[in-house]
Amino acid sequence: MQHAIPVVELGPQGLAMAKAVDSCVHCGLCLAACPTYKTLGEEMDSPRGRIFLMKEALEGSLTTEEVLPYVDRCLGCMACVTACPSGVAYGDLLAPFRAHAEKTRHRPVMEAAARLLVRTTMPYPRRFRSAVRLGKLARVARPLLPPALRPMLDMLPDSLPASAPLPERIDTQGQRRARVALLTGCVQNVLAPEINWATARVLARNGVEVVIPRSQGCCGSLSLHTGEADQARDLARHNLRVFPHDVDAIITNAAGCGSGMHEYPLLFAGQPDEDAAQVFAHKVMDISVFLYQLGIETPPPLPQPVRVAYHDACHLAHAQRITAEPRSLLVTVPNLTLVEIPEGDLCCGSAGTYNLEQPDTARQLGERKAHNILAVEPQVIAAGNIGCIMQIRKHIRGQSQALPILHTITILDRAYAGLPLLSE
Amino acid sequence: MADRLAPVAVEHVAQVQEAVRAFDRVTVRGSGTKPALAIAPSYDRAQPLDLRGLRGIVEYEPQEYTFTARAGTPLAEVNDLLAANGQYLPFDPVLVEAGATLGGTVASGLSGSGRLRYGGVRDFILGVRFVDGSGATVQGGGKVVKNAAGFDFPKLLTGSIGRLGVIVEVSFKVFPAPPAYRSLLVHFPSFSPALEAIYALTTQPFDLVALDLLPGDEPTGAKEGWTLALRIGGAKALLASRLDRVQRILAAGDAVSSPAGDAEASFWREAAEFAWAPAAANLVKVALTPTQIPALESRLVATPVPCRYTVAGNVLWIAWPDALAKLDSILNELGLAGVVVRGQATVPWIGRAPTSAFARRIKSALDPHDKFAPLYPD
Amino acid sequence: MALETLISELTARIPPERLLQQRPQLAPYESDALTSLRARPRAVLLAGTQEEVIDAVRLCHAHRVPFVARGSGTSLSGGSLPIEDGIVIALNRLNRIIALDPRQRLAVVEPGIINLDVSRAAAPHGLYYAPDPSSQPICTIGGNVAFNSGGAHCLKYGMTANHVLGIKAVLPDGEVVQLGGASLETSGPDLTGFFVGSEGLFGVALEITLRLLPKPEAYRTILASYDSLAAAGQAVSDVVAAGLLPGAMEIMDRLAIEAAEASVNAGYPRDAAALLIVELEGEAVEVDAEFAHLRRVIERSGAGEIRVAADEAERARIWKGRKGAFSAVGRLSPNYIVQDGVVPRSKLGEALQRIEALSAAHGTRVANVFHAGDGNLHPLILYDGRVPGALERAEDLAGEIIHMCIELGGSITGEHGVGMEKRRHMPAMFSPDDLALMSSVRRAVDPLELANRGKMLPAGQTQVTAGQHEQAVTDHG
Ligand SMILES: Cc1cc2nc3c(=O)[nH]c(=O)nc-3n(C[C@H](O)[C@H](O)[C@H](O)COP(=O)(O)OP(=O)(O)OC[C@H]3O[C@@H](n4cnc5c(N)ncnc54)[C@H](O)[C@@H]3O)c2cc1C
Ligand code: SF4
Ligand code: SF4
Repeated sequence: MQHAIPVVELGPQGLAMAKAVDSCVHCGLCLAACPTYKTLGEEMDSPRGRIFLMKEALEGSLTTEEVLPYVDRCLGCMACVTACPSGVAYGDLLAPFRAHAEKTRHRPVMEAAARLLVRTTMPYPRRFRSAVRLGKLARVARPLLPPALRPMLDMLPDSLPASAPLPERIDTQGQRRARVALLTGCVQNVLAPEINWATARVLARNGVEVVIPRSQGCCGSLSLHTGEADQARDLARHNLRVFPHDVDAIITNAAGCGSGMHEYPLLFAGQPDEDAAQVFAHKVMDISVFLYQLGIETPPPLPQPVRVAYHDACHLAHAQRITAEPRSLLVTVPNLTLVEIPEGDLCCGSAGTYNLEQPDTARQLGERKAHNILAVEPQVIAAGNIGCIMQIRKHIRGQSQALPILHTITILDRAYAGLPLLSE
Repeated sequence: MADRLAPVAVEHVAQVQEAVRAFDRVTVRGSGTKPALAIAPSYDRAQPLDLRGLRGIVEYEPQEYTFTARAGTPLAEVNDLLAANGQYLPFDPVLVEAGATLGGTVASGLSGSGRLRYGGVRDFILGVRFVDGSGATVQGGGKVVKNAAGFDFPKLLTGSIGRLGVIVEVSFKVFPAPPAYRSLLVHFPSFSPALEAIYALTTQPFDLVALDLLPGDEPTGAKEGWTLALRIGGAKALLASRLDRVQRILAAGDAVSSPAGDAEASFWREAAEFAWAPAAANLVKVALTPTQIPALESRLVATPVPCRYTVAGNVLWIAWPDALAKLDSILNELGLAGVVVRGQATVPWIGRAPTSAFARRIKSALDPHDKFAPLYPD
Repeated sequence: MALETLISELTARIPPERLLQQRPQLAPYESDALTSLRARPRAVLLAGTQEEVIDAVRLCHAHRVPFVARGSGTSLSGGSLPIEDGIVIALNRLNRIIALDPRQRLAVVEPGIINLDVSRAAAPHGLYYAPDPSSQPICTIGGNVAFNSGGAHCLKYGMTANHVLGIKAVLPDGEVVQLGGASLETSGPDLTGFFVGSEGLFGVALEITLRLLPKPEAYRTILASYDSLAAAGQAVSDVVAAGLLPGAMEIMDRLAIEAAEASVNAGYPRDAAALLIVELEGEAVEVDAEFAHLRRVIERSGAGEIRVAADEAERARIWKGRKGAFSAVGRLSPNYIVQDGVVPRSKLGEALQRIEALSAAHGTRVANVFHAGDGNLHPLILYDGRVPGALERAEDLAGEIIHMCIELGGSITGEHGVGMEKRRHMPAMFSPDDLALMSSVRRAVDPLELANRGKMLPAGQTQVTAGQHEQAVTDHG
């Protein structure tokens, strides 16, 4: 599409944004894949529409404030990227645009407060943990709270699992085949620390030495995807320093973190850390891809046959094009049958902090996902992302169903240990 | 009722234009195989134009699988030429032996049993040249197999029975002719299992050429029950096994015969000539769908008349022996519409009155001075 | 002002979230898939029910405000381009399947349903909706009806018109009519067929009865590479002449192959100058027999590499590459015009040669990816809109290609419609009498020329009348 975006004025990311607009031919093939277009049915809330709106805003024919409501409703699920034959790198437009817009935007006070709360808690496990505890107290006061804060409260779990912290290094069982560093993630490490334990155990069992840098922090993806570029860079820069260089891979088991860390080079474009970001991003690998490429030992058969529905997290399937690997790993487990979820390409509505910022759309998508999953009658749901796990759990429960929903790696871990899958 | 004025024999398009401009009212005839379609009340002072002289194939390149011919060209001539090149008109034109012309076939919009496979006249017509009610010669559509430019006059003129314009030339696409055919006649003691068989056959991926349902036991000539007649076409060597498969999904134990060769060909030729319909009877075509048939049958069962359901229950051909009022009321009651092709009608339409709002507007554009008979009665 | 009265009446009926009027809401509706044209409507109505559409059309008529129906806005000819200060009636939410009758192989749908969703709904019954425009994952049946859309698999069973049995429509003055019905046959003129392809000029289709087909039992897909486009074109003529009737026959040239490969890794031979895809479909035994025949014809046609899809996954990849090819060409050039001319099938080779020569002479790149089996070319004329004069040069080349199609006895459009973009070429294909009759039909249906004003019919005629009506508007209001 033709445009008159002032590329130079927009700085190092201007070029990437312009390129995305350039390669969009306005064909509309991405519309069918877009969760917001599917639920809202209007062109402004479609990828094609958003690209057009962002272009207009960058060109100056619309104001940033005018287009933001539609850009805000974007889940960042990248389903449009998968669907686009023209190779439009939508993410290269979205993240910089959000950052660009955040500089000048005016938010209502309560909304700003909510965002600030998110920004200052979620990336920091200790603060987040206390926030969860506080939240439990605050729930009593829910009716008194401004609506902007309520969805946040609703998302917090009733209790936090207690779990021992991971050691700084876990040795392999048997011969060493590789050495990796593990990103433990911030939210996940609070809400579901057992996923990291499972990851470490499965790696070790397959001959991989795991290093877990103690001083690591949040990867910054959450901030990156919500337009807080400066915070994202600060967080990322910290991890660029503390992660070891002598590892074969940097492993993540959270799809959102994986996709965000792959965006580091764009985040640091034209900045001193660009090279370091390149090297780091190059090493980042989702656990499923790493294990698949390594080749894993076949676990013992499950005690009974189990039907597992694998949910494609958007940040795996669309942002990183990872769909085959987790499935291949799961089917190595004897007695496990995979079933495909209808509309499997469609986002579950979790999408980082989307739940908090667009609760209506998030709920519609969550319900639709639960409905689609239940349609194929699985016994267990598998997913490779903590956000999806929380969201799907909530909506499956909402349908009065109690299906266990487990991380892919947890399923492998339990299979190795001979533990049952049919509970959480 | 019938044309009173002596027909003007037309040999050139210009004569049609002159006639349309010169006379107040004009009717068109080809070889008169579907006389009732020309009927229009109070139109007996119209000047008939005989288009049989406007004949001849204008363009035919076998490689192209299309041809263009003048309206008065007998279909038999077209069929022969196509057959010589291994091609055919897949909409299976009717009354070819009776002398039907190409223009009359388009104007009547009639297709035969074989239209089941690939579609009817409307699906194969590519272009039409016609003289409209102001005497202008207009070209609609084109000569290539695909064309989306401008309004689709070829389809509009299909079935327009001379009321929207005088068709002078048409272009068609054709297909490679199946090298051989086989048929199966299956007798059912009663109607509903026969109808079930139609459903079963049409929802399967069988490439059926035709699927008709006719009263009685066709092979034996007995009057009871219904005969399902189906036809497949293709490479000769495969026909037997393909027919076997089809037969297997029909209920076992049904009386079956499987004509081949000349007997097979003449069975379908006779169908296309309406050999089963007594010449004196009114020949009526009714468009319907299979689910509408049981209700219709329950009305007709009291007075058995020669009839034939064709195109997998989408068309009823009926030879109505008496006055048409009764059939008209039955069809009306069921919301069905038909057209009288032969017989004693006052208008060609029968049954549910056609909704004419859209058609009336189109008619006013094509025939602003009412040169041609009214499309629908007021 | 009539327009503002209309808006206030609409505002009284329609909630604001479905009556878009703000700048950022309207901007994304300014173009369809032909981005060189833009126009800002006064409002976009996201219709929620058929009654709302009827109401809106009646109000537009009462206030003499032009309107454009819109499906998914994938028209390549500017068909769904809004009318400046007119109303856009968006139908994409009107997407229910009203009835699915597998026994009679029928579906009654609302116009906003996505083409592919019809086949998805029919699939559990072993049925599908045959016409498959490459845009089928998103284009709507209403849009397909307006353009008589085709697709790769329209060789055997025809285009949209051949699959639409009945249409309920609201005419541009608000009268609601039912054309055709559920039967494969009708009595009287084929009004349904006449409505199909009328590019929205006859009003808005509200309910469409489609015929479904049983899913073919077997497919065989063959890829053949050629060292020139003309040779691939000749191969198509050979296949047709051999009396074979494939379900699909498509050609892609080097640029299109490059773009498609970059997009989906379809596994096309990358070094070929042209690629021919032929697919047979039907009963398994027949397809097998025809395949042997087809293979012989292709082998004798001077093909380089010949490859046969080994399984359904490979077949799906081949089609994914082909169907995404238009958009994939966006990787090669920021802008392009898609042409849609048709030539007689026996002249394909010649036409392709002439396009190559024209492209070279103009120094403008042309990618070709098209429905070869029915002679329907799709030259994509690549240009960079930021270069001054580039669009004009591309349009000149497009014009020359169109005139070549007419000269060879073909058509200016096979399936994308005339829209805004090919209006000026209508007089090259039709005589003044032909066009005059089209105009009077149009005015008989829509005396105020409200529905899609300015589309399809050459500018001269409509603008004169449009001007008169403007006059009428001021007189009255
Ligand atoms: C990548 C790509 C590939 C394509 N491939 C093909 C192809 O293979 N074959 C093909 O034929 N086309 C193709 N097209 C063109 C386009 O997809 C078709 O023309 C399609 O039918 C348009 O559907 P739509 O829903 O997007 O309609 P829109 O673009 O929204 O509208 C098209 C026209 O239909 C009118 N309209 C819409 N709904 C109605 C209604 N309910 N009643 C009356 N008028 C209505 C509009 O006013 C407009 O004039 C392609 C387009 C793209 C972008
Ligand atoms: S599919 Fe790609 S090129 Fe087409 S509109 Fe969407 S982003 Fe643009
Ligand atoms: S990222 Fe997801 S929500 Fe956003 S435009 Fe793309 S498909 Fe739609």
